[in-house]
Amino acid sequence: MSAASSLPLGVRAALLGALLLSPAGAEDGDAARGERAFQRCFACHSVDPTEPAKLQGPSLFKIMGRPAAAVPGFAYSEAMQKAAAAGLVWDAATLDRFLIDPEAVVAGTAMSVPPVRDAEERADLVAYLKRSGTYRP
Amino acid sequence: MRGSILALIVLVASAAASANETKYYDLAKGDYPHDVAISEGGEVWFAGQKAGIAGRLDPKTGAIERIALGKNSAPHGVIVGPDGAPWFTDGGQNAIVRVDPASKAVKVWPLPPERMPYTNLNTAAFDGRGRIWFTGQNGIYGRLDPSSGDMKVWDAPKGRGPYGITGTPKGDIWFVSLAGNYLANVDLESGAATVYEPPTKEQGARRVWSDSKGRLWISEWNSGNVSVYDPAAKAWQQWKLPGASPRTYAVWVDPDDKVWLTDWSTNAVVRFDPETQTFQSFPSDRSGANVRQLLGRKGEAWIAESGTERIRVIRYP
Repeated sequence: MSAASSLPLGVRAALLGALLLSPAGAEDGDAARGERAFQRCFACHSVDPTEPAKLQGPSLFKIMGRPAAAVPGFAYSEAMQKAAAAGLVWDAATLDRFLIDPEAVVAGTAMSVPPVRDAEERADLVAYLKRSGTYRP
Repeated sequence: MRGSILALIVLVASAAASANETKYYDLAKGDYPHDVAISEGGEVWFAGQKAGIAGRLDPKTGAIERIALGKNSAPHGVIVGPDGAPWFTDGGQNAIVRVDPASKAVKVWPLPPERMPYTNLNTAAFDGRGRIWFTGQNGIYGRLDPSSGDMKVWDAPKGRGPYGITGTPKGDIWFVSLAGNYLANVDLESGAATVYEPPTKEQGARRVWSDSKGRLWISEWNSGNVSVYDPAAKAWQQWKLPGASPRTYAVWVDPDDKVWLTDWSTNAVVRFDPETQTFQSFPSDRSGANVRQLLGRKGEAWIAESGTERIRVIRYP
């Protein structure tokens, strides 16, 4: 059994959707525009590792390649912990899909955000997130 | 011993809850009701955040009407104004939006250009002078005079975090900051905000509602408390919700000054009686209800289940 086939059907469908819908755009984003688009995320997330405020969402510093629910000490929802156990990893494809509809990727997630419907804007956001570096365990 | 007594109180109260009547209304998949409100006439409105719609539910027939609010719309909050119309805080359009309840015409007031494209608009409340005040979680609060179209926006103390907002019977405006961990009162003319720090550090004050005496009831997300600030007495009190690790999301105070809350940990609506200091729990019949807001009128609490995409009503004596 492959690693992918061991994932729950919902997660597999979400990952497949992400692969079909996004990779090209996600690779071509503009980080400068993405910094402006990050205003959508700003209320709950930070990419600054020294951020002093206790925010409602986990830090997005070096999120690329990071397994879901992996920020130490952050109180993740049960839904996100289950997705992590099922193998969800944040990369360009999964982030793109999550930005369209968080519930479709992680049913029951606490994250509530207006859907980012524009593919170019999602790609810009991913490019901006990439700028903080790649996850190293 | 104290724990046992508390457990008994909750148990007894839960049993009493069965005397109340609950009904659920299924919405279209993808409507994602974030907030809900009811008019004096009994029209129920919800903010369909993912679909970008105003939803109108007729509780008698169960009929649901869906009204598109505009390109990129993603409404977070809805309240019914003194004009009987639903008013939305629309994060997607970064605008305050009104729907005429008769004609269904949509009117949009975008934020000023320097506050575009996105402030994460959250919640709104009317003052006693016909103006609507709103919060933006990215760190702003503002005021719109619908009669003139004049809109003013201010930077919030401590930056990001402004979330719930409420008007008192006297027409004063108070809001809370989730990331800033405070309650604030605004000067209705200058807009200046005065901060009041709850006793519990980093409590995560998410929503706020006034009771009939102008006391401010706050749902504390991080601490799992419900707290109250009495401006006249300049005094705080707080209580922990039942359960091992409550997560208090929403608050609404009914006309009898009973305090309705939602707790994500127990997946329940919880009613707190300030007189007896007891809690009564009303769990959802489905897991993951994720209730982000509730609001009602005498004898009815209306609840938006964002997680199950349903509207729930609890009718109580």
